[in-house]
Amino acid sequence: MTTLSAKAAPGTALCAAEPATEPATGSVGELSTAGTTAAPVLAVRGVRISDQVTDREIVHGVSFELTPGKTVGIVGESGSGKTLTCRATLGILPPHFEVSAGSIEIAGTDIATLTPQQWTALRGATISAVFQDPASYLNPSIRVGAQIAEVIRVKKGLKRREARHRAVELLQAVQLRDPELVYGQYTHELSGGMLQRVLIAVAIAADPQILIADEATTALDVTVQAEILDLLAELREQAGLALVVVSHDLAVVAQLCDEVLVMREGEVVEQGPTSDVLHRPRHEYTRLLIAEHDQYGLEKFLTPLTPQETS
Amino acid sequence: MTMVRRVLSLTSGRIAVVILTLIALLAVLGPLLAPQNPLATSDNTLAAASGSHWLGTDYLGRDTFSRLLDGSRVSVLGSLEVAVMALVVGAIPGILSVYLGRTFEWLTLRLADTLVALPFLLFAVAVIALLGNGITQAMLVTGALVSPLFYRVARAATLAVARSPYVEAALVAGASTGWIVRRHVWVKVLPPIAVALAQTIGVGFIIVSSLTFLGIGVQPPAPTWGGLLASDLGYLSYQPWAPLAPAVLIMITVWASNLLADAIRDVSGEAGRAFVNTRKARANRLGKPDPVSTGGA
Amino acid sequence: MTTTAEQAPPARRRRVVGTRVRHRLGRLLVTLARSVAIFVPVFLVATFVTFALRSMSGLSPARIQLGEEATPEAIARVEAQWGLDRPFLVQYWDWFTGVLHGQLGTSWTNGADISTLIGLGLGVSLSVATFALIIGVVLGFTLGTLAALKRTTWIDRAITGFVTLISVMPAFVVGIVLVAVFAVGLHLFPSAGYIPAEQGVGPWLAHITLPALALSFDVVADVARQLRGSLVAAFRENYVTGAVVRGLSPRRIFLGHVLRNGIGPALATLGLKFPALVGASVVTEWIFGLQGFGRFANDSAQAGDVPAVQGVLVVSIVLVVLFNLIVNLVLARVTPASQRGV
Repeated sequence: MTTLSAKAAPGTALCAAEPATEPATGSVGELSTAGTTAAPVLAVRGVRISDQVTDREIVHGVSFELTPGKTVGIVGESGSGKTLTCRATLGILPPHFEVSAGSIEIAGTDIATLTPQQWTALRGATISAVFQDPASYLNPSIRVGAQIAEVIRVKKGLKRREARHRAVELLQAVQLRDPELVYGQYTHELSGGMLQRVLIAVAIAADPQILIADEATTALDVTVQAEILDLLAELREQAGLALVVVSHDLAVVAQLCDEVLVMREGEVVEQGPTSDVLHRPRHEYTRLLIAEHDQYGLEKFLTPLTPQETS
Repeated sequence: MTMVRRVLSLTSGRIAVVILTLIALLAVLGPLLAPQNPLATSDNTLAAASGSHWLGTDYLGRDTFSRLLDGSRVSVLGSLEVAVMALVVGAIPGILSVYLGRTFEWLTLRLADTLVALPFLLFAVAVIALLGNGITQAMLVTGALVSPLFYRVARAATLAVARSPYVEAALVAGASTGWIVRRHVWVKVLPPIAVALAQTIGVGFIIVSSLTFLGIGVQPPAPTWGGLLASDLGYLSYQPWAPLAPAVLIMITVWASNLLADAIRDVSGEAGRAFVNTRKARANRLGKPDPVSTGGA
Repeated sequence: MTTTAEQAPPARRRRVVGTRVRHRLGRLLVTLARSVAIFVPVFLVATFVTFALRSMSGLSPARIQLGEEATPEAIARVEAQWGLDRPFLVQYWDWFTGVLHGQLGTSWTNGADISTLIGLGLGVSLSVATFALIIGVVLGFTLGTLAALKRTTWIDRAITGFVTLISVMPAFVVGIVLVAVFAVGLHLFPSAGYIPAEQGVGPWLAHITLPALALSFDVVADVARQLRGSLVAAFRENYVTGAVVRGLSPRRIFLGHVLRNGIGPALATLGLKFPALVGASVVTEWIFGLQGFGRFANDSAQAGDVPAVQGVLVVSIVLVVLFNLIVNLVLARVTPASQRGV
């Protein structure tokens, strides 16, 4: 429960606006413990989100900071406001929803001050995202490779030929076995795991500093899920990406994150370094999550004769 | 019936029903209301609108207003005939196609494909001219030509019901096909068919007017809305405003039919009910009636 | 576009390109085969019904040639000349094989070759229909797109209102209004007649503009409505959010992603609209005094010239089938997703 009270005024954007723009490819943050030494690429301060139609506040203050090479995890059941928080960060809140208080800074810029053009320039190049149900986030009538190449052409100004080459490289980088073949395929020709890799390739095509993974592994098989998480971790090491991992699954967060936020009904009920939260949970809800998880895991081993119950 | 009440709860539904009722009354009473004999010629040809001739006279000096009123019956009855014929020829095979086996299904599907692909005004003209010039034959043929709409709608709705768990449960419990159709299918099939019926009345109206415009389906002196327009065409340089009244009547009728179709679509089915409820809720909260919905189609 | 450049090893590239080309060819063939599979039965049924018309009508060339007071022997002689005394199926088979060879028989009224007669009128009708389609597509797409882009604003409402208005106007009403306003009132266009394009493009356009406009209203309304609906639906899709998150500009998202997926249903509507267009030509050609296909249909139908009517119907079916084939091919090209049977 660290910074719930930090309700930043718009002016605070200036304080942190100094050198944060450099991605620092080697990831200085590797050594730092709580992300205090490097300037944050993403700073969320006391963000509250409300539905303007019903005039109800959905998210009651979320704060965290993210430095290059670090990962923040947000855990919570569906409807806890974690996805809304992500969407606010990306500037894609659904209609009628609004950040009613607090501020979000991306690479030192307060997003409240951004014009639509600046947003377009920022997205993809500085902050990007992958989602659950990757098939729906790719255009079904355009070859997936062409969609990656499009981002490269537009965001990095590469020529058609170079963009294509780079896209194939990216497909290789996300460990797709036959990148040339995948390049020319449509979404319905690919499996869920492959699609999620493609979506990640699209997301990192313009070398962003921040990648938000909103339930990115939820619909996948357990083995594929693990592979995708490994891939994310690898990208974080290699490119110095700062990750925001959102999941309802504690295991995902435990595997990847440095810091965890536990959310429930729009409230951050617990926040802190992953090991602290997992081993010494202070809030009852966190304990419940962990207990459920233990039980869940145990069940698999203890009662192998009744597999039906686990479904 | 609840559906009627729900349609009437929509402004658009009320407007459509009022207009269509007026048109129907016109069809029933029109010939009686006609102030003059619609067939009586006079020397006062191509007269402008006046006290004695509200809409002027045509090239034979016949009173246009009387002809318009007298012609409404043929036009309205014609479009109703089209709709009912299409309903019978389309909906029944549509429902049965789900139950009567593969051969029947294949045959009716191909037939529906065929009818849809035909330029039906052309076919109607051809068939009617060859089979004899009567408005009823004309409408029956037209009805058969537009029946695929009903076939598809009824078939789709029936398929959806037939695959639903409660029908399967009824089948398992030993219910007869006839009973299932009466008890379950009919309820689900009715709303989409009502929508199609309203649409077809509009389409039928256009076809009837087009045919009578060409002089097909009626014997010459008898007035129809389409026929009025046709005779106006030759005298446009004398009476450029003459086509206005029949044209507007045709358009209003077609529009009201479409409006009714939309209203039924809006209120039928689960989505429809939710739609009405949210409208009510919003209206309640704002304490004033809802603005016009922006839905296109 | 995707097959042009790559840095991969040449052999491998050839393989990938090869499979892709084969893929595309295969899809094309599948589309063609599917369309043919649908339309062969359509064609058979339609021609059969068309042919059965004669026996149902009870009309005979004898009546036309000999008049009402002909003796039964004379009638029988004339009918035998035309081969009408043979069994029905034999007649159908003869006629059908003729149709397959492009021979539609001879007219009962003047003994002229029907294929030639129809060919004469087809130029007029196709000029008008094509022009109407162009107007319909351009205007329909503009209005539909504009309404979708400005959805829920007054522009959207105005367009929706306008589209509703023109959708309830039958072609012959539009035709009459156009004649009254532009030909009789303002003298901007000729009110009737036709001049082939060879005798001057200007006069040709002047003569087909009003009829094409009259025919196009229905197309405009349907295309605009359909396009608006599917574009609005496409805007709600996740891949639009995805494209936003990738930092693509709204313009690019609309042109490259939304339009591409929203265009399919509008194109399909166009395919469905074509038969209506051919049908409505009967009315518009009557209004504008064009000696086209529809006028020929109407005249021969009223004269009881059964072979001519049959010919007209066959040609109209072929036109519809061809047009639908084109639409299907375009659809397959634009939206591969439709190949999944969506």
